[in-house]
Amino acid sequence: MIDDEALSAWFCDAILSHEAALMRFIHRNWRDAGEAADLRQEIYERVLIGARRELPRNAGHYLFAVARNHLINRAKRAQIVSFDLVADMSALGVPGEILDAERHLSAREELRRAQAGLDLLPPRCREVVRLRKIEGLSTRETAERLGVGINTVEKQLTLGIRAMTDFMLGGSGKIQRWAAGNDKAGAASHE
Amino acid sequence: MSDARRIEEQAATWLLRTEQPDWSEEQQAELHQWLDESYSHKAAFWRLEHGWQRADRLAALGGKETVRARESRPVPNWWRGAIAASIALLVAIVPTYFVATGGFGGVGSEHVAEQRFSTALGTRKTVALVDGSKVELNTATFIRARVDTRRRELWLDRGEAYFEVVHDPARPFVVFAGPRTITVLGTKFSVRRDGNRVSVSVIEGRVRVDYGGTTTTTRPAATIGIGDTAVSDGDSTIVASGSIEQVERTMSWRRGMLTFNNATLADAAAEFNRYNTRKIQILDDQAAQVRIGGTFEATNVDAFVRLLREAYGVKVEVEPRAVKISA
Repeated sequence: MIDDEALSAWFCDAILSHEAALMRFIHRNWRDAGEAADLRQEIYERVLIGARRELPRNAGHYLFAVARNHLINRAKRAQIVSFDLVADMSALGVPGEILDAERHLSAREELRRAQAGLDLLPPRCREVVRLRKIEGLSTRETAERLGVGINTVEKQLTLGIRAMTDFMLGGSGKIQRWAAGNDKAGAASHE
Repeated sequence: MSDARRIEEQAATWLLRTEQPDWSEEQQAELHQWLDESYSHKAAFWRLEHGWQRADRLAALGGKETVRARESRPVPNWWRGAIAASIALLVAIVPTYFVATGGFGGVGSEHVAEQRFSTALGTRKTVALVDGSKVELNTATFIRARVDTRRRELWLDRGEAYFEVVHDPARPFVVFAGPRTITVLGTKFSVRRDGNRVSVSVIEGRVRVDYGGTTTTTRPAATIGIGDTAVSDGDSTIVASGSIEQVERTMSWRRGMLTFNNATLADAAAEFNRYNTRKIQILDDQAAQVRIGGTFEATNVDAFVRLLREAYGVKVEVEPRAVKISA
């Protein structure tokens, strides 16, 4: 059994560096783009379960093998794709370019990317992330500084964490927010 | 909402709470329980933790981003005070980040593995970094290190550690501890972090303590040497010049011991509680103000409490999860 510390280190280093490629793979092979984030999460869960006894030697190949199996199983279960498509995918090897893990960025590139990700956030979310990351304020201090409730700050920061993570891992930085209606009601009550 | 999205939101909420100054061991235990419920929780939490950490470089930004935001976009009223205040603060700590990174910012794809080390409550561990430097982790500590041919960087995310740094003028050894950075070339020192409060003690060489999360700043908070301790909280830094014996006393945890010299019982109890799940609770002020001295085994609460009862005549109630002390 691999301990959590080692498993987490491996997952962050060897698996997450493929996230942009994994998302391309999912989008290419799955019709409903709205389900991509869910599929990614399910694939990561299976990746960890499969690796907990022994870390696979080639993380990239392993990740895409898990991903392909999962898409096929989901497709069969939901019966949403024709059998032809499933057959195609079974035959499909993982294209070489997809296996390229993202290289580690230099400090300056990493800063540039973080800055670009920050710019993409909605204004209130951006301000909360800024106060956290640049000024190091706690949620309580942020709430006091902005004159809003701590729940509002937590909600915005939660969104910021998810969006910044997506962007830092090579995604668009745009994530689905809360269930329809929920978000508006929560935010509006503080204004 | 899909399961995956619900889990991701829960994971993000956990993550932001771990960064709050009032994050407690009870919460830490709850988080572990939540993580252990499913690999789906672990995947979501580890991913966000990793991605969110990668955005830490933002700490190097000056006020530019904010100024641009103010010029180009209408800002709602309730934000405005906040932005004005933050510009003032950022000007005060403008880091010379771009100068600092100029030397290595252009390098291409270099694989830098991050090493992570942690200790559970009441345990200690000594680890070696790839440059040969030695780090000794005290109780409930979490560190991350990145060492390559150009730099040596280490993040003290939680807890306390003692460093013996191999001398290398070409690669400064930088410790990021919350709002402070500690820069050395080769020396022996310890750093303790309680939320945003950071204390640095030196037993050999010199150490520079700076504001902000960058490798170089224009305004170093303090440079300290042998026998000195710098304590930073918020914007202020206090330097206490002492003796090597005093500093060594603060590092007695490296032998598994706690040393007190005329400390209040309240402070001593807080120290013991860093190492043990059975917490010492002081029930009244009179007991809290009792002064004690001596050297104790950090994980032997029973011996400490026995001595208190015998030498100071305080009342002691022993429960499975707590030891309650009153005058």
